[in-house]
Amino acid sequence: MVESAIEDKRITLKEAVKLVPDGAHLFWGGFGFQRPPMAFAHELVRQKKRNLTIYTCGSEMDIDILSGAYVVSRYEMAFYAIEGIGLAPNIQRRIREGAIEIEDYTNLAMALRFLGGALGVPFMPLKSMLGTDLLSKKRFRPKKAELIECPFTGEKIVLVPSVRPDFSIVHASRVDKEGNAQIDGIKGEDIEGARAGKKVIILAEEIVDTEFIRAQPDQTVIPNIYVSHVVECPWGSYPMMVYNYYDYDMEHIRRYYEQCKTEEGWQKYCEEYITSTDSHTDFLKKIGMERLMELKAKKPLPY
Amino acid sequence: MTKKYAKPEEFSTLELMAVCGSRQIKNGQVVFIGTGLPMIAAMLAKKTHAPAAKIVYEAGFIDSNAKEIALSIADSRLGYRASGAIGLIETLGVMLQGGHVDLGFVGAAQIDEYGNINTSYIGDFEKPSVRLPGSGGGNDIVSSAKHIVIIMTHEKRKMVKKLDYLTSPGFLNGPAAREKAGLIGGGPLLVVTNLCQMDFDPKTKRIRLATLHPGVTVQQVKDNSGFDLIIPENVPSTEPPTLDELALLRAIDPNGIYIPRTK
Repeated sequence: MVESAIEDKRITLKEAVKLVPDGAHLFWGGFGFQRPPMAFAHELVRQKKRNLTIYTCGSEMDIDILSGAYVVSRYEMAFYAIEGIGLAPNIQRRIREGAIEIEDYTNLAMALRFLGGALGVPFMPLKSMLGTDLLSKKRFRPKKAELIECPFTGEKIVLVPSVRPDFSIVHASRVDKEGNAQIDGIKGEDIEGARAGKKVIILAEEIVDTEFIRAQPDQTVIPNIYVSHVVECPWGSYPMMVYNYYDYDMEHIRRYYEQCKTEEGWQKYCEEYITSTDSHTDFLKKIGMERLMELKAKKPLPY
Repeated sequence: MTKKYAKPEEFSTLELMAVCGSRQIKNGQVVFIGTGLPMIAAMLAKKTHAPAAKIVYEAGFIDSNAKEIALSIADSRLGYRASGAIGLIETLGVMLQGGHVDLGFVGAAQIDEYGNINTSYIGDFEKPSVRLPGSGGGNDIVSSAKHIVIIMTHEKRKMVKKLDYLTSPGFLNGPAAREKAGLIGGGPLLVVTNLCQMDFDPKTKRIRLATLHPGVTVQQVKDNSGFDLIIPENVPSTEPPTLDELALLRAIDPNGIYIPRTK
């Protein structure tokens, strides 16, 4: 291949976050403890972004941090908690303050809304939400979901609106500089989510040579055609996990959960780990090489 | 071979609940599981009577053979010897809504007498006192799996006459209501609590006491329920764990992450 035919989409984490204006709508990748764009969340906090709307299925400590720091004011999603530990502490507090609002959907509904956006159609049908308050109660959307009778079969079916956010933020395993991405392990809703955004930012544990991608094209789950920018971001989901790369740091997550039960505790965490560090590398230094090495995946186990 | 049952003082209530859940899984079934006690129940079933059960986690792990306890349904641990690692459209869309899932396990913050579930809000929707985690894939699973097992603690504030919010559909307001609403799944089969197991009366679709855990009385169940449940004349006692099941359970969760060692 001619070298000049390969576009270089690499930018830094700081540059990528600068592209996101206040008030922007974001698809937020990762699922539960797996591959959340944690480093991107930290940088959104450092750059004091405000009034974002996030679309996702389920997220945990990453969106709890964004809620605590008043970065996000609206969510359309299905689930948030610190799984296996408890309710997300900052989200609880910000809801009580009225600082954030959540429009509730189900995981399938959100995944289909991203698929609809990716397909360029205005809505998607599903057989969930029927007969429940998820269908009858809404928070801020003028129209949240519609119950119709199928024009072909007459059966009852729920329509949910497709989403085309301004940006899709996805943390992948590997990507080349053109934006061809591979994701190990589960994909959650990232395949559809990455295709729904008007602009797509792929962060990855590793930047690999494009020959590595092209030697195994069946492993590409996000082709470069959709991707606007690429960010090299090792340990970018810490303290959560990335399949085949590292395990979660349960000690850190539990400390976060306990500490953030109070506003003072959260402020202290935010200062210590996010605002007093000036980059992702600086944050990782704070965690320390020794701890990170303990969490590295012990192959052939993916954790 | 006769089963050797454990004596009541030899097992905890959580261990009994995990065993009750496990026994609902039949060999060869496709089962949707969440984190916590259901995960332990599924792992136990695979080690005992249902080695060919296919355990699916909605984040995308298919036919998981996890050997360690996971904390998240997206936990890499669940990828151990799985047959696939795909995504939500595959699991909740094609597999579940496509009609391939036999059994789903869910938890609940509140249920009503028709097995309707709340996992979203405590208090008024406009000004809730607690925001619970929400549906996640719960509504999808309860809507479309062939059968549902609910595992929860038995308290008056959780077994309510009227839910604060209806997240996932039980039998809605009674017979034929699910079909009328357009739901494709079969609805709840069993509720496993720390006091008893409850099923649903086929005629009225109302919740009915099925078995009592060792040492628990009918009155205790009534006192801890905010709705009137159907009480049959004879209520058998819950089949206790066998010694084998107990030993396996303790090996599955050696550090007591989901089943703390109380005895």
